[in-house]
Formats: sequence, structure tokens, C-alpha cells
Amino acid sequence: MLVSYNWLKDFLGDSAPDAPVVADLLGAHAFEIEEFEQKGEDFVIDVDVLPNRSSDCLSHRGIAREVATLTGEVLAHDPFAKKPELPQTDAVTVDIENSETCPRFTASVFTGIEVKESPQWLKDRLEVLGQRSINNIVDATNYVMLSLGQPLHVYDADLFPKVDGVWQFGVRTAREGETVSLLPEGGKGDARLIELLGTETLVTDKSTDTPIGLAGVKGGTFAEVHGGSKNVIVEAATWHPTITRKTARGLGIVIDASKRYENDLSPEMPLYAQASIVKLIADIAGGTFEGSIDVYPEKWEPTTVSVNPEHVNALLGITLDTDTMVALLQRAGIAVENNGELLSCTGPWERTDLRIEADFIEEVGRIYGYDHVKSVLPEAVPLTQMNMRHYYSEQVRSVLLGAGFSEVITSSFAKKDKIKLRNALASDKGCLRSTLMKNINDALDKNVGFVDLLGNADTRIFEIGTVFYKNDDDVAEHVSLAFGLRTKQGGYNPKDDKALGDVVASLEENLGMKLDFTIDKAIAEINFTNVFEALPVSESYQKVEAAKEISYKPFSVHQHMTRDIAMWVEEGTTVEDATSVLNAAAGDLRVRTTHVDAFTKDGRTSLAFRLVFQAIDRTLTDDEVNTQMDSVYAAAQAQGWETR
Amino acid sequence: MQKGHQHPLTQMISEINSIFAEIGFVFAEGPEAETEVYNFDRLNVPKDHPARDMQDTFWFRDDDVSEPKVLRTHTSPVQARFMESHEPPVRVIVPGKVFRNEATDATHEAQFHQLEGLYIDKGVHMGHLKGTIEYFFSKFFSGEVEVRFRPSFFPFVEPGVEIDMMLKGSDSKLANKWIEVMGAGMVHPEVLRGSGIDPDVYSGFAFGMGIDRLAVMKYGINDVRDLYTGDLRFVNQF
Repeated sequence: MLVSYNWLKDFLGDSAPDAPVVADLLGAHAFEIEEFEQKGEDFVIDVDVLPNRSSDCLSHRGIAREVATLTGEVLAHDPFAKKPELPQTDAVTVDIENSETCPRFTASVFTGIEVKESPQWLKDRLEVLGQRSINNIVDATNYVMLSLGQPLHVYDADLFPKVDGVWQFGVRTAREGETVSLLPEGGKGDARLIELLGTETLVTDKSTDTPIGLAGVKGGTFAEVHGGSKNVIVEAATWHPTITRKTARGLGIVIDASKRYENDLSPEMPLYAQASIVKLIADIAGGTFEGSIDVYPEKWEPTTVSVNPEHVNALLGITLDTDTMVALLQRAGIAVENNGELLSCTGPWERTDLRIEADFIEEVGRIYGYDHVKSVLPEAVPLTQMNMRHYYSEQVRSVLLGAGFSEVITSSFAKKDKIKLRNALASDKGCLRSTLMKNINDALDKNVGFVDLLGNADTRIFEIGTVFYKNDDDVAEHVSLAFGLRTKQGGYNPKDDKALGDVVASLEENLGMKLDFTIDKAIAEINFTNVFEALPVSESYQKVEAAKEISYKPFSVHQHMTRDIAMWVEEGTTVEDATSVLNAAAGDLRVRTTHVDAFTKDGRTSLAFRLVFQAIDRTLTDDEVNTQMDSVYAAAQAQGWETR
Repeated sequence: MQKGHQHPLTQMISEINSIFAEIGFVFAEGPEAETEVYNFDRLNVPKDHPARDMQDTFWFRDDDVSEPKVLRTHTSPVQARFMESHEPPVRVIVPGKVFRNEATDATHEAQFHQLEGLYIDKGVHMGHLKGTIEYFFSKFFSGEVEVRFRPSFFPFVEPGVEIDMMLKGSDSKLANKWIEVMGAGMVHPEVLRGSGIDPDVYSGFAFGMGIDRLAVMKYGINDVRDLYTGDLRFVNQF
């Protein structure tokens, strides 16, 4: 939520710390700060309010209260300090079908107001937070929500039919197929007619049973306030978190209001919001406040939780005395009664998140500061259990790495396979793999062209990973081991099978068991879960070598080029000597030099090398590579080496 | 024969296991196709609670399963599974593949690896969490490491924290700045109770972090998707 520092000062008064201090305090003790920015005379702080605090802190009053808690001050001006009392009106009735869906519904009636431009201070307040000013009445509802956290909706009273001099509101569950016309998104564009599923809660014009708003999610076009509105009704209600959430997600309308209701906004809030807007409308729109109606069938009762001070210290790993704990809790507005051994704690009504002892322990911890928690390393104990999947994976890995195989981890998704997901990421990832063979085959195909680039003699790949299939009417999975090789760049070659067979044999020897691999085109796969479960349990893991210091470099995705050079060198010239001469001449585009051949004939030694060229940003041309090779030949000749 | 190259993720998992095994943390595992009950309910994520927004989930089709199942969105369900089948004290780590149904980019993959840690015993407190994480990172990055907690929220812990670490005095690119590395907290009493452990007797901490992110930190990998392409131009650098 975007927070204006100047707005916080309305609540904090002179005790407000400087804006950067506010951001630091919140960051260390309450919420992550996404951004901190000076905007003209104000600072805007983007506070990432946690889901459990969305009921009280998606508001300037809530954030200011949090700052006051952290500084140990009290709010200079707190709109929640005293419960407001508003005169009643008989001009509105509310009929709530099921109080669980709507624990509270309030409405206030105003007559003779003037809809006009908002005063500059209000425009500024909204503008600094990136909100568009519409008119004084709409802005007032927006202002109260951003200030206190309670969403409001306003109706033109003259467009709302009256029966026997009474405006009749209804609250009920929607009927399947029923429609409601909603205000356009962000106040722009066209109204939208929404067909309902029958799970939503609706606000209705009771006299005609017409749906006029989607409770907690979006107001309707019914009795929409306009430039000439004189008499208005302001609604502030409490809606069921789960129903609001389902409705909002289902329709893809997640707006400020629904986000607040979803997180269990306190039913005590509407009254404070009404009191606030009554005052604001009088200030900026004139007219007369005729009174409110407050239907509150599910009255909120405070929850008191017993907190054991020993538990506080035991869980946080600190040693606070009880008085300090009590003082910290009281800073958060928590009423604490010290019963000797236990503390009876009651959170302020807007904190719907404080429900169990651990919630209060967290309050002590974060307000006191987690920097007071000292590191303690648990005393080492022997392992009570070995992971044989890991143990034997390591053993197999060691054999395969030794045989020149490199390890891959490929996608668990497949285009077409036995298990299809209900919700796919993409059409080619709609299923789960039931075998590793296809992925190994794809990886071999992809990599065979890179043997020169990577300096390999051939391409060898393995994977140990989970595969999925159906078994006895349920999805089943096991760990699969697969490996494959390609000795030729052209793809599978029957000769590959022989090389693969040798590897299978060495694995069998190493594990001391016959391995029943499925083999296809020099790719072998086996149910590895069956393998390790049949092997003996080991007492300890093999020692893991410390990781090499590796600095990864992004690789070029552009085509590489190879050039071979063979030459007669004088006796005593080593491969290293020759390599360094060639490399120095080949320039920066050379990425690898592989010594491929050496023989001696008639007292002369022939050395052959393969040079690989590649650029990070483009595909090289023949000309570029030939130019480099010309210098390589020149350098060799300068050494007196005769190129062949 | 030239030796092959091990994938950086399995290298790191081996290293992580050996660091935690030294202080008695068991390498535990669980299914990747997980029940809704273990993936959410047992971790105190109520039905339709906004906390489920944090995870966009791949679901199996009703025809393929005997009860609602998902591709696990975190390794945390193994916590509940292990606690159910073992009496405390419990010390486990759970490295494993997890899945989120979200758009992919250089820092996000729909499949990635997570490391879960869990320690349940009498008298386990947040200082143990701090000490364990400091121990792990100082070994993993071979240097002096400081960690700090910031408040956070996860339904399966209370208090919940975000953990930042700072590698001190080294010449590494990572050194001398706070880096957000994981979510953690003290195991929620409901989670303990749900697994048959009495929260009045036992307490514990849990943490979870991305191993892929650890690879980004350790090796400077610039695109996490490269971990899953089977491209040897990537793997052969390790």
C-alpha cells in the first residue's frame, strides 16, 4: 500500500519521526518497504502490508498506529479513540437474509449536498498516492477508506426508489443466472453486466428485489451519484471474507475494497467510517446529515488470550521480565491484565489477527526487536536415519561422471503423456513425464552439435528424476534413472549400444546387483526407487568434496565454427608450447583448442589441433574466422612449423 | 575418459546435506504429487484463505486421483509427513523439486528446487533458528555470516520471519550487504497439533528457501531457466 508521510503526520502529530526513520522502523519491525520516494513536499512509502495485517494496516491510521507502537508514543489524533455516536434515521431500512454473510450494515443519509470539485488539500492527498480525483463525494469515500481502511459506497438518494418514505436495502445471496450491472473498472469505460453464480452476496433494492451491488467487491450502476446529485446515502458494511474473496477472484475484480474484506475487516469499523465521512461531507459538500441506520446482528466480542511470560521468553529465546513484556504489548494497544502467572491479553478491536498466544508472542518479539535474539547452534547429534535414495544417487552419479556422463535436470512437464494436469502452463506442458527417455533423447539431440565447442569426444547425459503415471486409480510416482550417449554427431548409431552396454555393466558391478534397464537407441532407463530399495542400508554418507570455485559465464547461443590445423614441429616441441602459440594468434573469438592427434614419422613430429571460434553476440562469418586462421598459420610458420 | 559434469543443483544438495548432517539433520523426502490435505490443510492454510494466493497451484484432474492432489507448491508438506511418522526430537532437511503455476522469466521457473528445514524438540527457540541458519551459510559460503530477522507471515509459522544474511569481510560480490534469503518461523501450534505433537511440550522452527536462488547467489547464474534445459553449454561449466 502506498502511504503518504504527511497523512501519517495527521495521526502522529509532533511525535512523528522523520520519513526515512518511519520507513526504517516499519522495515525492521513490521513490513517490508518496497519503495521510498520524495514527492514534492511529501514522501510516499510503498509498504508491503502482510496478509495477516491487511485488516488494520491497509490504512494510514493503521500504519500510523504501527509507527506509534514502534516509537512507544501514542497517536496525537486517533479516530478510534472514542466510539462515535450518530443520530438515527427512520428513512432507511436494511433486511439481512443471513447475518453470517453480512455481520453489519450501516447507512447514512445526507440532504442538500453539492457535488463539486474536491478542495485542493484532498486532491493533493489522493494525487500523491497516484489516485485520480473525481468529485468531492466520491473522493470523500476514497479518502475515508485510505484513512481508516473501511470501504464505502455512495448512492444518489433521488434515484433510489422510496416506498412509504423509506429507502429499503436488502442483503441476500444471489440466484444463479441473475445479473447485476457494475460500475466500470477504475471509474472508466462502460458499465458491466455480470451474470451471477448464485454464491455471491448482493446488496439489493428491497422494494423491487433488484441487485444493486456485489457485496464487498464492486458497487452497481444503480442510483449512481452524479454531478447534480443533491441527496445521497453512504453505505459502510462488513462482508464475509471468504465469500468476498471467491466472488472477487471468480470475476477477476480484485480491488482495494475486496482486498480489505478478504482479510477479515473488523465489524466495529463501519461506525468509525460513518463518523469520519459525516464530518468530511459537512466540510467539503455542505448539506445536512439526516442520520444513520446501523444493523449489527453479529455483534463482535473481544477475544482474550492467556499469555504465559515463560512461553514468550522460551519461544523467542530472550530473557525479558514480565513488566517489560507488558509494556511492549501495551504499546501495540493490547489491553493486558497481569494475573501473576499469566497475562490476559486483549487486542484492539481492529486487530483481527491476534487470536492465539503465539500471535502475542510475535508482537513482543517484533516490537522489542529480533536483533535481541542471540544465535544458538543446536548441539550436534548423530543422524537417526539415512536417505538411501540420496546415498545411491551419489554412488551412481560418481560412476556415470567417471564414465564421461554429464548430469541434467529436465522439465517434469510433457506435451503428451499419461497424466494430464487440470491447469496447464502452456499447451506443450499440459502433462507430466512418465519417462525420462524422451528428455534424454532431446538433450542428446540438442547437445550433439556442441562436442567441439565443449571439447568432448562424444555426448553423454544422465538424469535422476521423478516420473508420474497412473496406478490403481491414483497418480503414482517413482524416481527414475536414465542415461544415454551419442558417439556420432549425426544422431543414434548402432555402435552406441555397445558403449552403453559397457556403462550398464560397470554400474551393475559397482552396485553389486543386476539392473534390468529398458534400452532404446542407446538410452537406458530404470526404476531407481526399486533399485535403491533393494540395496543395503548404509551407515554414513560419502564425504562431499568442497565445491570448486566457479564463476559462471553466460554462454553464447550463437553457432560456433571449427577449424583444424596439423603441422610438423621440430623435436622437443610440446603440445602446450604449440597450443600457446596458436592461441595467441587466434584472438579473442577462439573459445577452445583441442589437441586431436600426434605422431612421429621419419624423425619428425606431427601435431593436430581443432580450434573452435564463437562470439557471444553474433554468428561469425567464414571470413572472420578465416582471417583469424590466417594469423594462426602465419604464427606457426614463423616458428618454422610446416603446416600440412 | 574425460570426466562428466555434475549438475550444480545436485552438487549443492549434496553439500547442503553434508553441512546439515554434521549437526544431525536427516535428509527427508516426500511425493511431488501431493495431496491437497498435506500441501495446504495440514500446514494451517485454511480453505480459500488469501495466503493461498501466494501459491498458484497445478492441480491433478479428478479422474487421475483418489483424493484432490496438486504438484506440491513447497517442500513444507514433508514437515507434516515426517512429524506424523516420527516422535520428537525431529531434525530434518527436505531438498526437493516444487512447482508453481506462474509465468516464467529469468528469475522464475514453474519448477524449481526448495530447501525446507525443521527442528522440533523441547525448548527450541528463535535463537536456535538464527544459530542454525548462520551455521549453514557460513559453511556454504565459507566465511563469516550474520543473519537478521524481519517480521513476515506464513500460515504454518508464528512468529513468522523473513531472513536476511550478510557475508562478512569476504571479497565476494555478495559480501557486506544484506541479502534476503528465506522465510522461516516457529512452527504454528496448529501444525504441531495436527501432526500429533503437543505444542505445550514441544516447539520448533521451520525454514524454506529456494535452492535455485542459492545457485544464482553462489555462481552468478543469470537465468534460472538454464538449470532445466538439459544444455551442456550450461552444465559443463560446473
